[in-house]
Amino acid sequence: MGEHETHGIIENIFDGLLGKDIYFWNFIVLMVFTLFEVAAVFFSGIPLKTVWAILIGVGIVKGYGISAYFMHLKGDPRIYTRTALFPVVFVLLMLWGIGLSNPEGVTGLPAWCTPLSSDYATNR
Amino acid sequence: MSSSEAHVDNSIWMRAVLMGSTFLIIGILAFATMGVGMANIRHHDYEEAVHHYEDAKHDYEEAKANNASTEEIAQLKEEKDEAHHHEIDAHLSYLTWRTAGITILLMCITYASFIGLGGFVNSIQPDEDHSHASSSYGGDDHEHHGSGSPIIFALGIMLFLMGFPEFQATLSDMLSGNETELGGIGLSMLGLFVIVLGVSNWWREDLPFIGNGEQIATSAPFEGQHIRKAGLWVFIMSEIMVFATFFSSYLRMRTEWCTGWQVEAGNCEQVDMLTASDFLRPGGAELGGFGGQGDFMTLLPGAVNTFALIISSYTIVLALKTAKNANWEAPEGFMGKLMPTKKAAVRNYLIATLLLGSMFIVLKLIEWSHLVAEGFTIGTQAGSIFYISTGAHGLHVFIGLLVMLYLVFKADTVEFNEDNAQGIEYFGLYWHFVDLAWVVIFPAFYLY
Repeated sequence: MGEHETHGIIENIFDGLLGKDIYFWNFIVLMVFTLFEVAAVFFSGIPLKTVWAILIGVGIVKGYGISAYFMHLKGDPRIYTRTALFPVVFVLLMLWGIGLSNPEGVTGLPAWCTPLSSDYATNR
Repeated sequence: MSSSEAHVDNSIWMRAVLMGSTFLIIGILAFATMGVGMANIRHHDYEEAVHHYEDAKHDYEEAKANNASTEEIAQLKEEKDEAHHHEIDAHLSYLTWRTAGITILLMCITYASFIGLGGFVNSIQPDEDHSHASSSYGGDDHEHHGSGSPIIFALGIMLFLMGFPEFQATLSDMLSGNETELGGIGLSMLGLFVIVLGVSNWWREDLPFIGNGEQIATSAPFEGQHIRKAGLWVFIMSEIMVFATFFSSYLRMRTEWCTGWQVEAGNCEQVDMLTASDFLRPGGAELGGFGGQGDFMTLLPGAVNTFALIISSYTIVLALKTAKNANWEAPEGFMGKLMPTKKAAVRNYLIATLLLGSMFIVLKLIEWSHLVAEGFTIGTQAGSIFYISTGAHGLHVFIGLLVMLYLVFKADTVEFNEDNAQGIEYFGLYWHFVDLAWVVIFPAFYLY
């Protein structure tokens, strides 16, 4: 958060660019990507999978920008990153085991989405 | 008084009461202008639009009954539909002003109570009681900056929630004009009283903190780290789990529904569920003429809120950066007038964050009022997960705003500097997490 020093490829490019620090550029990137995210749903011709890809891709970039620079996981001791990532294991299990294991799920749910029983991959 | 703490006079605590009064005045003014003045004008327009629609509908029905020409019926139908759209627009416009006025008033009352009561409780103590010798941790210069107040605070929350069902029922009866027994709100009121005491004591311990005595962890895995920071990260870890439960529930329910997206993808044939995004995003699905199909204006509050949270994340980074900068110099031009001193700069960045967060809550409730008016209520399956998830996020924002109020107060009185800026840093971590949660919620519930 603000007062830390980080050194990496991204920092070397952006930190000090046009006299602005990494936090300013992170802010600009977040704003631009949000604009991109909102704009994606305005183009009616874009297929569902493309919209999905855009939303997930933008989400990953924004999530990284906020956690790595604003929350300063990049630059802080690794223990904080590990602490932040610890629940991700459970989150993934929850999304996989609960979110995608719906017995009444959509048609053609792949078997890897249905842990414990392939019977869950039912057709509507 | 010891060298490890600043002395906080009663006059400083009284400034919190003044701040609370200012919020009350702002709230009442906003309610009078928006919630009453503008809302009444819009309500008048709405009533006119309703009459116009009723007339247009009557003309259309009559033309059909009298076997009028096809062209005439088509024209009257077009006029009726136009009048209907106008009626809906007028209703939503009225709701916008009314909700904004009421929300700002309620938020300002909460802000005033929170900051005013805390300041008042501390200001009624004799001046000498604010000195270091009276603190709970003895009188040496090596005391820690720990506090027992969170336990008092948690006890207050527990009492409040234990009494909440009766509290809520009693308040509903009171608002409905039914006979009520005031004893029903006793436990919750006791809880609120304990919360105020806990918060006030917490402030009394933290406000004089000038950076000495930060507790350091002495064992693995956080050895050498500030205990408060490690605790904050563990708290964030638990918060990730909370939001993951909402998200996995949503995912499970969502895979079951035949939404507009699923029809477009060819996975099912007919839309059987309207999601929030159908009402909000342009080109959302429709279900038998009932709701759906948002446009630019319906998505606007959520989109503006997304930008507001990102900007507020940056303003809090700027507040910390300024507080930590020992060689800070006032900027030139307009910004220099806004931030002539370091103290003013930190305070104003925090105020900007507070305003952006407050705007988030106001826009969210305006958006909710529109959705409810269009029939997307918490009683529907899609509505329940939407309102619970976005409501839980909104609650996190609101709690953050209450903490931010205190930070603004501290920035305006004791002042943040390179030694005691941890308060902003740790609060910033929470605030960024709230932003991070929105990064997931916004596309999942508003765009997809």
